[in-house]
Amino acid sequence: MKGIFLCFSQVQRLLLRPGTWLTIFLTVLSPLAGLTVYQPASASTMLTKYLANPSLAGGTAGGIIFGLFTIYELDREKRNRVDVLTEGAVSPLRMSWVRLLALTGTAVVTLAAAMVIWLPITGKLTGNVFAGRDYVLAYILFMGFGMELSVLAASAAFQAAGRGEFAVVLFAVFSGLSLTIWADNWQLCWLNPSLWAMSDDFSNSRLFREIAYMRLTWLAALTGVWAVSWLCIRQYGKGLFASFFWSARKVYRPFAAILLLSAASAAYLAQPFYDNSNPDLSAAVLDHLPLAEGVTCLSRRVWVYPDTEKGAVDGRALYQLRNTSGKEQMIFFGVAPGYRIISADVNEKAVSSSFSGDEENNMALWKTVIPADEELELVLEYGGFPKEWNILTLTPGTPEISEEYLCLENQNMAPYLLNASSPEDGVRAAIEITVPDHMTVIPFGPGQAEVIKDQGDGKKTWRYEGRGFGGIVYAGDYLCQEIEAGGIQIQFYYGRKHQKVMEEAKAAEAIKAVVNYCTSHYGALSFGENGRLKLIQSRVIGGGYAGNGASLLDEGDFTAANLNNKEKGAVPGEVMIHELVHQWWGLANMFDEADAGPWSSEGLTVYTTYRIVKELYGEEYARKNYLEQWKEETKNYYLNFYVRNPEYLKALPEDKRLDIANGLSSLLHYSEMPLKILKAEQLVGGEAAMDQILSQLFNRELDPAYPFFTYENFLDACGLTEEELSLEQDISI
Amino acid sequence: MEIRMENVSMIYPNGKEALRQVSLDMASPSLTGLLGPNGAGKSTLIKLLAGALLPTSGSIQVEGEPFPKGRKRVKENLGYLPQEFGLFDELTVTQFLDYMAALKGLRCPQASIQEAIEAVNLMDKAKTRIGALSGGQRQRVGIAQALLGSPQLMIFDEPTVGLDPEERIHFRNLFSQTAQNRLILLSTHIIEDVQAVCDQLLVMNHGRILFAGKPEQLIQKAEGHVGLFWEKEILDAEGLQITSRVNTSRGIRCRGVAEVLPPGARTEEPSLEDAYLYLISREETR
Repeated sequence: MKGIFLCFSQVQRLLLRPGTWLTIFLTVLSPLAGLTVYQPASASTMLTKYLANPSLAGGTAGGIIFGLFTIYELDREKRNRVDVLTEGAVSPLRMSWVRLLALTGTAVVTLAAAMVIWLPITGKLTGNVFAGRDYVLAYILFMGFGMELSVLAASAAFQAAGRGEFAVVLFAVFSGLSLTIWADNWQLCWLNPSLWAMSDDFSNSRLFREIAYMRLTWLAALTGVWAVSWLCIRQYGKGLFASFFWSARKVYRPFAAILLLSAASAAYLAQPFYDNSNPDLSAAVLDHLPLAEGVTCLSRRVWVYPDTEKGAVDGRALYQLRNTSGKEQMIFFGVAPGYRIISADVNEKAVSSSFSGDEENNMALWKTVIPADEELELVLEYGGFPKEWNILTLTPGTPEISEEYLCLENQNMAPYLLNASSPEDGVRAAIEITVPDHMTVIPFGPGQAEVIKDQGDGKKTWRYEGRGFGGIVYAGDYLCQEIEAGGIQIQFYYGRKHQKVMEEAKAAEAIKAVVNYCTSHYGALSFGENGRLKLIQSRVIGGGYAGNGASLLDEGDFTAANLNNKEKGAVPGEVMIHELVHQWWGLANMFDEADAGPWSSEGLTVYTTYRIVKELYGEEYARKNYLEQWKEETKNYYLNFYVRNPEYLKALPEDKRLDIANGLSSLLHYSEMPLKILKAEQLVGGEAAMDQILSQLFNRELDPAYPFFTYENFLDACGLTEEELSLEQDISI
Repeated sequence: MEIRMENVSMIYPNGKEALRQVSLDMASPSLTGLLGPNGAGKSTLIKLLAGALLPTSGSIQVEGEPFPKGRKRVKENLGYLPQEFGLFDELTVTQFLDYMAALKGLRCPQASIQEAIEAVNLMDKAKTRIGALSGGQRQRVGIAQALLGSPQLMIFDEPTVGLDPEERIHFRNLFSQTAQNRLILLSTHIIEDVQAVCDQLLVMNHGRILFAGKPEQLIQKAEGHVGLFWEKEILDAEGLQITSRVNTSRGIRCRGVAEVLPPGARTEEPSLEDAYLYLISREETR
């Protein structure tokens, strides 16, 4: 009780200081930096721009301000010799607690003030996508914890160093690590959490969970460090070590510090959010598994029960198998890291199932031995909390499973059978998924989901059919708009929050224009069941992808700001165009993705996007935003040190090497290849000639044995050689 | 309040021996003066009693309870004014005392604060920021915070430094009144203050207690060792400590203390200052 009373008095005293008010004022003002100069989250959603970045800036700047203020306050008391009076009344150890809690309390007051002041501003800037829960959580987790952790760190630095100037150096180094070397490690960047996007239309539960986990891990760690520094507080005229040993006589004190540090270490090592996939992306153990001899999967049924509160999944999968080998066979499943197979039964008899130890591409390899019987029904019970791929730690929040939205991709939905054959027309799949009743279930593909049962507990079970071992499903509060374009029927799904924005921006008409362009220049899409195509607005993922009869569009392209960007004209963002173009280049015409060369679906897609953009927004816009960027990046590629000296790249540590190699490869796909196609366009006689060639290639007859669209096909159709398109000597186009 | 120190020694981490085998007993009510030259160990003794230091050896007991356990009891009942201290300049006198009262755990401290402000004569400065006070007024704020809550043990280290004579007299009286039912330890260089109010006296030098007793006992010890003489007559006198010099038409008339007074010196009635100087000079000679 006396402690609370003391803290209250200390806060009161702090609030009587002009320096405290200056600190509060600067901290409350610091989210402004997130709107102007400090924007670590790069996505274009409204909540990213107007909530995530300001609160992150508030956390980083506020953290540094509060850290320095903490050191100044602690040092001031000592330097001015007020401590001889205060410590005459209360022991220095107790005073240390009181000061810490008072500074923490001041930080809480500051956070509250910032939240109140920025609430109307954020509300106005984000418009109808504003969400109170996201606002509160963002400010607490991104900003509030930044300040609190800084107070702890600065206080610990001062107690350990015993002098203000040394404490400032320690705190600066610790903050600097977070802002530089540790910035790429989501668990280490204690001051500036890794965050690239917040969703406007759907939830951000996974993101908040991850950042809360990181913050709490650091809270435990820094409390532990603080506890150690607390033992170092000089007392009775003793030096650092003598004070430490004196204070540590009471064993519960060092024990508590060790316990906190151990808890933080354990939390660090046992983080549940990212998997342990092999960082070498070229490793392909899962792609080269021995095919189970004579084993065919005829069909599969899956019952999925997402736990939207925990962000986890429970499920049951039934595989109808035929084993004609007459002997036992080992079959392999790719299971989402974080899940485990709880039980496996074949023809109602339990069989063992175990993890092989391999994890690749966000897939854990599990194996099961099936008996020699010919007709088999394998039932797997599985479940868990899905882990994200460890190469994507800087783009957290992808496998969202919440009350508002869920996305289950392939192994996250059910174990993925890896080494069984399938019938010629593919494996028949029937999926049943039970979700909250305000959600609409949208399978990614031609299948249509329909409600088959109202569970009566606020949940409904949906069912859809498809083909294959995998599959993706989305669910959320969606609206659907039917659009007819290019001779196909498009179902355009978007979040209910965006209804007004979509209608005002006439997004449907814009989609119609893009589809019409591609159809008229290259031809109609060959796929799609009954001439239907789904366009699904997804939670922010930084791009999109296309599949059979469906294309995913990032919500970032549908923000009010982006849709109303007059510089781009009246149609939605170019990523949407890009992803739609993939329906033509990438799906209707497959590219051999196993070929590691620069020729891929991306080159032609980027080139076509450029052509559409040129038509829609004018030559100048396309030149500036496409051609010049390609040239710049291609030039950078050729000048890159590691490209010119590959032996140095080989000498780098593996993770660094892969990082650089993947980045360089991306430059070839997205910049060098479209530039080469543009050069080809000039050499074959201009746009019309190239359109003619591409149209012929798009509609060419496919070789079923090798249905891929190769670079040789392209060069032959253009009547050009690889050397003629080389840009290494002359990049001018 | 009863404090007992037994064979207490204090050696600082830098090796300096500040106290050597000090033993003493103090009990309330008492106003004990602590005298000694610079470096004698007075501040160390005070810090030990205030619980700011722990002795290297020996024991300190408060109400029969040994340190450091008894430290808590001391802090709860302690009014402490160190020799050098700082204040929060941005606070007013009342705000500062309110804060200190909170640290001391005083609930509803308004009456106590008011009492302390009146005691140190700062009524008209109660709402003034400490940063705007003079040195003497700041010293009075320091004294006021020590008085808060009427603690049973009060330790004042040079409390009247920076005060004008009138204020010094005021505080002498205040200490005297306060000591009616408390234990007050008053460390000072101003012997006049001690003589005026203290009923007990401790004299220290080189980390040792040279004298512990009533002031008159110390004076008695100096009887026959204080004299008046002409300066020109004592040029070669050994062990003589001059305490004052007065210019006269016949030359410089000196007052001094010595184990053996020089020939021709007129024996004088010793003052407390004489007695103190005699004790210290005798110790130095040894």
